[in-house]
Amino acid sequence: MKEITLADVETAVKSIAATALKNEQYFCELDSYAGDADFGVSLATGFRIVEKDWSELDRSSIGNFLLKISMIITRNVGGCSGPIWGTGFMRAGALCKERTTITLDDLDKMLAAAIEGIQKRGGAQLGDKTLLDALIPIRDIVHEHVGKPEVDARDVLQRATQVANDAIEGTKGLVAKRGRQQFTGDRSIGTPDPGIVAIATMMNDICAEFGVATPASSHSNN
Amino acid sequence: MKKFVNDPAKFVPEMLEGIFLANEGKLKYEPKFNIIYRADRPNKSKVSVIQGSGSGHEPAHVMAVGPGMLDAASPGGVFAAPPMEYCYECIKLMNSPQGVLVLINNYQGDRMNWDMAIEMAEAEGIKVKSFIIDDDVAVQNSSYTIGRRGVAGNFFVIKACGAAAERGASLDELLAIATKVNANVRSMGVALTSCTPPAKGKPIFELGEDEIEVGVGIHGEPGRRRDKLKSADKIVDEIFDAVANDLPFKSGDRVALMINGLGGTPPSELYVLYRQAALRCKKAGFNIVRNYVGNYCTSLEMAGASLTLLKLDKDTEALLAAPAEIAVRVF
Repeated sequence: MKEITLADVETAVKSIAATALKNEQYFCELDSYAGDADFGVSLATGFRIVEKDWSELDRSSIGNFLLKISMIITRNVGGCSGPIWGTGFMRAGALCKERTTITLDDLDKMLAAAIEGIQKRGGAQLGDKTLLDALIPIRDIVHEHVGKPEVDARDVLQRATQVANDAIEGTKGLVAKRGRQQFTGDRSIGTPDPGIVAIATMMNDICAEFGVATPASSHSNN
Repeated sequence: MKKFVNDPAKFVPEMLEGIFLANEGKLKYEPKFNIIYRADRPNKSKVSVIQGSGSGHEPAHVMAVGPGMLDAASPGGVFAAPPMEYCYECIKLMNSPQGVLVLINNYQGDRMNWDMAIEMAEAEGIKVKSFIIDDDVAVQNSSYTIGRRGVAGNFFVIKACGAAAERGASLDELLAIATKVNANVRSMGVALTSCTPPAKGKPIFELGEDEIEVGVGIHGEPGRRRDKLKSADKIVDEIFDAVANDLPFKSGDRVALMINGLGGTPPSELYVLYRQAALRCKKAGFNIVRNYVGNYCTSLEMAGASLTLLKLDKDTEALLAAPAEIAVRVF
């Protein structure tokens, strides 16, 4: 697998939606330790509509497809999740509006743009215990493979999933500094961040979808 | 969970429809975007004052729509900021040549959704400004976080801006009023129990039979610390000191004092709390010019209360005393 096709992107997004719906209660539970317990509902609200409208989504290009996903999320999801996840999909999609296949180099740029957009929207940095603590290491793995067209995207997916899983344990001891979790201060120490767990769970499910062996994770709830 | 609910997913829309049906002729309802607005709005000759924040805090903020208060509100789901589109549509619906003032409680979700909506509205040439309310002293300001939360002090900012807007104040004048009221208002709450969002079905946090959460947020966010249940007077003493020392309020200050119920505490208990708070004001030399005891900004069925002090000047006093009418009536 050298190139990523529109069909691959569709498979990944469909998998992400299924993960969000399947884990609605679990993600809320994680959010209740230090947040306000609505993360699972917020995410599921958006991705439920993605599933409902699935057959009618714009498939003229990878970019248009991702922009449509962004629009559904931004329009329908409130809280912090709507702007954050919507901005991520929007920034990634804006870079490939004319493309029906992308390379790992493109994916690298898309992830970088999504991360930059999310940082600008929410003001978080690496280490603030947000989903960026999973997204940035994922992007770093993809970035390592830029300019190496011989690399199999499946191997990159597996390594990226591993760092996402590692981010769960790696950030547990940090203090949450953004979103509503920030108000819990030191009490957020020792609990996993729901956004990071969601990204990791989605990555593991995407692996399964593409027949890639999933690295061990202590947090998936499938 | 024992609640009056049909379908948890329809909890907020059905509540909004209820508010609309109870106020037909005075309020209108746009179900597509959760917007409750005054039937006689927008009024092109005045600034529109609007707010949209999570639901579950009623009467804040959706039941604060009415003459002398908000022109419109676009609440989100329970404890969740409204989606950007609700905010954007609410601004558009209330668009006035005089401008639109958005009063935002300081939560990241509220800020991000409104920021995006305001950017979009401005791109269309709509005159719109926002103001951030952050009166909760339980949260210490820090450069690492978004800062203090907006809680019951929100009511005073809405009341003052709503009254001034009714008198024809400009958008800039309203921003100055909001800034002044917010700078002079301080709040802190205590929870005796947790609360259960309908869609979650389980309490948002656990609190032991003999425990209280001091400095609780209105979404059940933990506060300063957990403590053993104490006498009502001792609880008031702690939050009164935290609130009064923060501004700080001084002897001779004219103040408004609010004891706000968090949803599950009866009026009798709120007045037990008010008694001690009023006695403490007298002792400190604060002159209570206006008082408020009841549910203004709740956290679903949470048992608990918050104490708010607002330092007054003549202008603010007049704005608080101006007539207003909202969806919640006592008679």
